[in-house]
Amino acid sequence: MKLVEALGILEAVKRRNGAPLTCFLATGFNPLHLSAFLAAELGLLFADHKIEIQRGLYGDLVGNVSRLEKADAQVGVVLMEWADLDARLGIRSSAACSPAVCADIIATVRTRALRVQKAIEEATTRMPVVVCFPTLPLPPISFFPGWQAGSLEIELNAIVHTMRSQVSQCAQVRIVSLQRIDLTCALEKRFDIESELLAGFPYRLEYASALANLLAQLTRKPTPKKGLITDLDDTLWRGLVGEVGTEGISWDLDHRSQMHAFYQRMLGALAAEGVLLGIASKNERTFVDSALARKDLALSSTAFFPIEVSWGPKSGAVSRILKTWNIGPDSVVFVDDSPLELAEVKASHPEIECLQFPTNNSAAIYDLALRLRDLFGKSALLEEDSIRAQSIRQSHVGANDYERTSGGRAHFLEHVEAQLNLNFTKMLLDPRALELVNKTNQFNLNGKRYTEVSWRNYFRNPESFLLVTSYTDKYGPLGKIAVIAGRQNGKKLNVDTWVMSCRAFSRRIEYMCLEQLFKKFDIDEIELDYMKTDRNSPLREFLSDVLGGDPWPGCTISRQLLESRSNALREPQEMTNG
Amino acid sequence: MDEMEKRLVACFSAVLPELGPEEIRRASATSLESWDSVTTVTLLAVVEEEFGITVDDVDPAKFDSFQNILAYLQQAVR
Repeated sequence: MKLVEALGILEAVKRRNGAPLTCFLATGFNPLHLSAFLAAELGLLFADHKIEIQRGLYGDLVGNVSRLEKADAQVGVVLMEWADLDARLGIRSSAACSPAVCADIIATVRTRALRVQKAIEEATTRMPVVVCFPTLPLPPISFFPGWQAGSLEIELNAIVHTMRSQVSQCAQVRIVSLQRIDLTCALEKRFDIESELLAGFPYRLEYASALANLLAQLTRKPTPKKGLITDLDDTLWRGLVGEVGTEGISWDLDHRSQMHAFYQRMLGALAAEGVLLGIASKNERTFVDSALARKDLALSSTAFFPIEVSWGPKSGAVSRILKTWNIGPDSVVFVDDSPLELAEVKASHPEIECLQFPTNNSAAIYDLALRLRDLFGKSALLEEDSIRAQSIRQSHVGANDYERTSGGRAHFLEHVEAQLNLNFTKMLLDPRALELVNKTNQFNLNGKRYTEVSWRNYFRNPESFLLVTSYTDKYGPLGKIAVIAGRQNGKKLNVDTWVMSCRAFSRRIEYMCLEQLFKKFDIDEIELDYMKTDRNSPLREFLSDVLGGDPWPGCTISRQLLESRSNALREPQEMTNG
Repeated sequence: MDEMEKRLVACFSAVLPELGPEEIRRASATSLESWDSVTTVTLLAVVEEEFGITVDDVDPAKFDSFQNILAYLQQAVR
């Protein structure tokens, strides 16, 4: 982004009427244009918000980071360069240099680093904090030649590494990847000496723009893709299995097809992180089954579900996989070596991210891996991630059982050994609850999203409550699948947020949640802050079922109404906490 | 208004969005309250970016009005 573009975006952002998003930018240097770039990047990311950047005092990194804790901001960004940890490491300093001074610099940096670390840790009790450790070169002030790492450089880096490691333990800290910075902008293209001397701003514009982009991305939790659908021939392996046979396909160094093994390993890692893997292949099923049974495959073939093999259009296979997974196309990546197949799928599912597998370009496999890492990356792995694929597979088994069972849905549900765990404790740092609220589209009361800070602020109201529901049955655990947040107002409950994972549909969990609210709070009615969205038809259908007609904003469900609609239900075994 | 002047007006418009084109041509640090040292540094950066030049001999007098900057550019770019 050019500075002139950033300034243009800022002008447009100023005219917005949305809620303010305030970011406190704590630096020791003058953040000047970085501040403009960051505000512009945040303006693009948070399209409905007015953006405000608060800044601290020049030359006072420790003080500015300490101010974060009390700042009236939703997010903090801490950005430090060497000169912020000791001015003698900057080009503006006129202090004398000597081996003795170098020893003193190390001692000063150690002390300041500890103070910065402590201040960051304190700030994270109030807001998420993005941290970027020094990215500019150290000045040549030690007596070592430039090509040799001297004690000053090694000691200073060790101090910062320790600080980085300690700070990374904080739940609400996100640290900018130095490797990504290196890939984005070479070291020699970062430092602007003229600007540093003139204005105390040390970055070249191009670098400030790139850095602001990374910082902004880290201010909000990513919404990772959930599933990957892959082709097989010339993608998962080299060769066409229908032509060369099971033993003819390869993914090894001998056949110069190692890139496919790398891709397989990448998929294996994604599966272990909870990413759903499916196959869409134009092939004969027997060939595919026998190829997937090869012992030297770099990931277990059980990682793939479902496996769609046919000679029909791949868009059809993709549709069937999406239906099995019960997720939207915008949550899915499709990988195929054929541009034609990619185009055909894209035409039917425009929201799917389509990536070409670079069959004849080994070097490009690394770029594909980086892209996949970005698309599926998340800040933390949750228990739900490890059981997602298994629970979908088991749900499929359950669906087959249901089709074979006589007696209808209620009868079937009575025999699945369902256990509902209802937790009313306000687990505000539980990332899964907020993740569900911010990721769920279909069973979502109103599409309302929260930042970590607004989520915490909501529960400062003593009348507020939070219900997090977990579910398990004989087909396996689904983990935490529903969240309800609201406020008690005498004999009435106002529900402001209600989401439920699509994996938990058709189990009557929504009815049970409402019943538990009546029981827990001894209320007469529940008012729902319902709002129709483009995608919340499952929630709308449920409410229509209860209300006997289309829901409306502020619709109310009385205890009697719910009881009359729930009569057909058989209550499963329950465990209630909190 | 020649091409260079148009581009410079666009630079000023980004940094001082409250001004119209005519006001921009008359703009100077002494006549505008909103033109402070940060404005000068930002203008400098935007002008460098727009015209692909590096202003290495920074004389604040050359950057304290639209007309002065235009005159500098006419010399530096041609």
